[in-house]
Amino acid sequence: MFLQIQGIKKSFGSGDSRVNVLKGLDLEIEKGEFCVLLGPSGSGKSTLLNIIGGIDSADEGKLIIDGECLADMSEKKLSVYRRKHLGYIFQMYNLIPNLTVRENIEVGAYLSDQPLDVDELLHILGIYEHQKKLPNQLSGGQQQRCAIGRAIVKNPDILLCDEPTGALDYNTSKEILKLIETVNQKYGNTIVMVTHNDAIKDMADRVVKLRDGMIRKNYINEHKIPAAELDW
Amino acid sequence: MKNPLHKRLPRELKSEFGKYAVVFFLMVATIGFVSGFLVADNSMLIAYNESFEKYNIEDGNFRTADRIYRSQREDIEKLGIRLYENYYIEEELDNGNTMRFFKNREEVNKVCLMEGVFPEHTGEIAIDRMYADNNQLSVGDTLTSKDKSWKITGLVALSDYSCLFQNNNDSMFDSVKFGVSVVTADEFDSLNQDKLQYNYSWKYNQEPSDEKEEKEISEDLMEDIGAIVTLETFVPRYTNQAITFTGEDMGGDRAMIIMLLYIIMVIMAFVFGITISNTIRKEAGVIGTLRASGYTRRELVLHYMELPVLVTLAGALIGNILGYTVLKNVCAGMYYGSYSLPTYKTVWNAEAFLLTTIVPVLIMLVVNYSVLRHKLRLSPLKFLRRDLSGKKQKRAIALSPRIKIFSRFRLRVIFQNMSNYVVLFIGIVFANLLLMFGLLLPSVLSHYQLEIQNNMLAKYQYMLQVPVSAISGSKLEELLNLAMFYMDVRTDNDDAEKFSAYSLNTLPGKYKSEEVLLYGVEPDSKYVKADLEDGAYISSAYADKFQIQVGDTITLKEKYEKDEYSFQVDGIYDYTAGLCVFMERDKLNETFDLEDDYYSGYFSDTEITDIRKKYIGSVVDLDALTKISRQLDVSMGSMMGLVNGFAILIYMVLIYLLSKIIIEKNAQSISMVKILGYTNGEISRLYIMSTSIVVVICLLVSLPIERAVMEVLFREMMLASISGWITMWVDPMIYVQMFAAGLLTYVAVALLEFRKIKKVPMDEALKNVE
Repeated sequence: MFLQIQGIKKSFGSGDSRVNVLKGLDLEIEKGEFCVLLGPSGSGKSTLLNIIGGIDSADEGKLIIDGECLADMSEKKLSVYRRKHLGYIFQMYNLIPNLTVRENIEVGAYLSDQPLDVDELLHILGIYEHQKKLPNQLSGGQQQRCAIGRAIVKNPDILLCDEPTGALDYNTSKEILKLIETVNQKYGNTIVMVTHNDAIKDMADRVVKLRDGMIRKNYINEHKIPAAELDW
Repeated sequence: MKNPLHKRLPRELKSEFGKYAVVFFLMVATIGFVSGFLVADNSMLIAYNESFEKYNIEDGNFRTADRIYRSQREDIEKLGIRLYENYYIEEELDNGNTMRFFKNREEVNKVCLMEGVFPEHTGEIAIDRMYADNNQLSVGDTLTSKDKSWKITGLVALSDYSCLFQNNNDSMFDSVKFGVSVVTADEFDSLNQDKLQYNYSWKYNQEPSDEKEEKEISEDLMEDIGAIVTLETFVPRYTNQAITFTGEDMGGDRAMIIMLLYIIMVIMAFVFGITISNTIRKEAGVIGTLRASGYTRRELVLHYMELPVLVTLAGALIGNILGYTVLKNVCAGMYYGSYSLPTYKTVWNAEAFLLTTIVPVLIMLVVNYSVLRHKLRLSPLKFLRRDLSGKKQKRAIALSPRIKIFSRFRLRVIFQNMSNYVVLFIGIVFANLLLMFGLLLPSVLSHYQLEIQNNMLAKYQYMLQVPVSAISGSKLEELLNLAMFYMDVRTDNDDAEKFSAYSLNTLPGKYKSEEVLLYGVEPDSKYVKADLEDGAYISSAYADKFQIQVGDTITLKEKYEKDEYSFQVDGIYDYTAGLCVFMERDKLNETFDLEDDYYSGYFSDTEITDIRKKYIGSVVDLDALTKISRQLDVSMGSMMGLVNGFAILIYMVLIYLLSKIIIEKNAQSISMVKILGYTNGEISRLYIMSTSIVVVICLLVSLPIERAVMEVLFREMMLASISGWITMWVDPMIYVQMFAAGLLTYVAVALLEFRKIKKVPMDEALKNVE
């Protein structure tokens, strides 16, 4: 199994104001799988994603990726882990405002020894003609494409997406989802996506539903449909 | 692959051009000035030290009443020295000044030509460059006396007059009213030969190894020469102020200038620190994403450090280039404004490079690195959530709803920007200190002159000079000369009152050893009104300088001997013009084994006209006492303008940078209130007014702090740079001037900031809002 989550617990605050966000989760994800984490606000899905991403730590439990246990890693090793294996996409695009589209993608490419071809990627992302523009000259969808480009250009093993369409309209959201699907198929990255949009589960290989810090459902989607056919 | 983040640097520079330009220019100005100063200081000190050999400066000189015969000369030269004629004649000029004429020197005390040519014909003259500067004279001008005139053909520096002391006993040199010059031999012969002074310079055949040996040799020499000819003066080089004063004084300002550089660097580093914090806050999302993607903290620290360090490095390099080329001359000019130094060659100064380039860049590196390390210590998640405060403010500071919303708003802005205001306050204190320093000196000097005028011991103090022949010849000759001396120095002036004087030195230690004049006065003196009886009083200047109180014991020593003398201080006498000890004449004579009726001079409120002038060593009148303040005014006056300009510049830069940061920090809120319908004027009242209030408070609160710091600095400066003492005095108007200068500067900056507020776009509020 590529990604193993075993008994992960996480709480915030202390004393009376202590909140148990994750109450002991177990989950396994195959390499190349497209996994969607669904759940209402406060269910703990983003926290779980951040723990997988090594930017947050669990209070208890183990997270094993490709045989390596994250809990044993130092801050420095975690950085290397993120550098080598992870790509991140957020709801806010967080692009560097004074770098062009192409340069923003190159910022990601710099982290990899064998990055993808930036030109090819720009074509795939559909922003080749905007490559010399600054982020503030782009629409929200174009900015998110650029952010996706930055995340996948280093060809990460795992692509973590935190509400990537949360700030986009219906059509643009579908475009972005199609793009993520393409990336998954073309490059074979494992994708873990957090969303509260229930419709997106239909394009995933695995669906995990969370509520109150517990996994309520975890199943393989037998009737996966292409992103283009999603509707909500 | 090159780090693509590097590509941000030129764009960052372009978008923040104002900020970086201001910092850059401040760096260039500071580093340029300091490196110029250090280079000039060092080069000139080298030139000065080399001048002894280059211009073959004498080992000493003496004056005789008559020309020395060949046989006498041969006898003197047998004592192990070589003699050179260095006759001079002094003439009163029409402008009221005194000019000392020499023949051009070929062998010893050679002359450095600084401009024009040496005189070649009669009626031509080359005058001291500094005297010329101070009297607005230049090549081609004419000098006139009662019955002669000379055309100035050149400006020169006489190597034995790097400091224009007319008499070696003078307490301060005078480069305004006294000048030296060289003329041709024919011209010299045509001057009034009645005034000819038979001055001879000597060089040892074998140089003494140190000052102590030099003293021993010269004392023997004085006696031996005195046995051959009648000496009027005898001045070994190490006691010749005209030669040694410059060397002793140079280099004194170094520590102060370097300190100034480092304070500015640290302040600039903190400004950068705050700017960086602001940038990090602005880019929190990006930083979080980069960190989450695998960028290490070190990579980001280096990235954010690059620009400040590059700007500092560029500023330091260009500052150094300017220092070595243009500003060096400005700083050398300050020395040329005080001393008649020969021309100098710029010498590469590795220490200056280290102090002005390597150290500032290091300061910048350390401060920026520490700030960044601290700021970037947070987890990527915190950056992604824009939760950058390490400690969360538990709750907002409670403000009464009765306070009007505008006032509450302003208070909130102030609370929010406290850290910026702390730096602003430090900056204001520092800039105001500089300003105070610039404004202080002229007022201190004029107050000092006034004070001296009010508490002079007597309008005239005549210091008698026992001719050297009275102590350096055969016993019979000595007695005869001494008797003649005492006959000729008797006066019938009723105001005249005898005093004896003796000069000792303070013990070297925390402060450098300094000459103290001990006065022995008559028991019922009408000039020194103190109950001396058996004890000793010290002058207030002495008490102030060495922080001595009544009851303390002071110990003084002979300058070149080990003998020490201790006195208990019974009182402090209000006398600011010098470091003195007062006691009864009998006591002084007894202490120093002088004869009972020995005296060294007269106090008098009226001019004494019936004693022979040649026995008057010096006359201490108001003019002589205020020479020190007059000369300081000439030497440092021009620098004060520079200091004031610099202070205002620093002040403007700091306020500009910090208020810019505050406005940037609040750009989103400003934009939001704009959307709500607030006008630019109202927004300015909220944001600029907050800073205005803080500036006014800082200005007022800083005044007593500056006063206290200045007391310490002034004291240290006076200890380091002058013999004697000048008491610090702050004219109340200085506070008003400082406040007004601060406020006006702020208004100028506020107007710039107002423009900035107008430019904040309304969509700012709609961006990056989560």
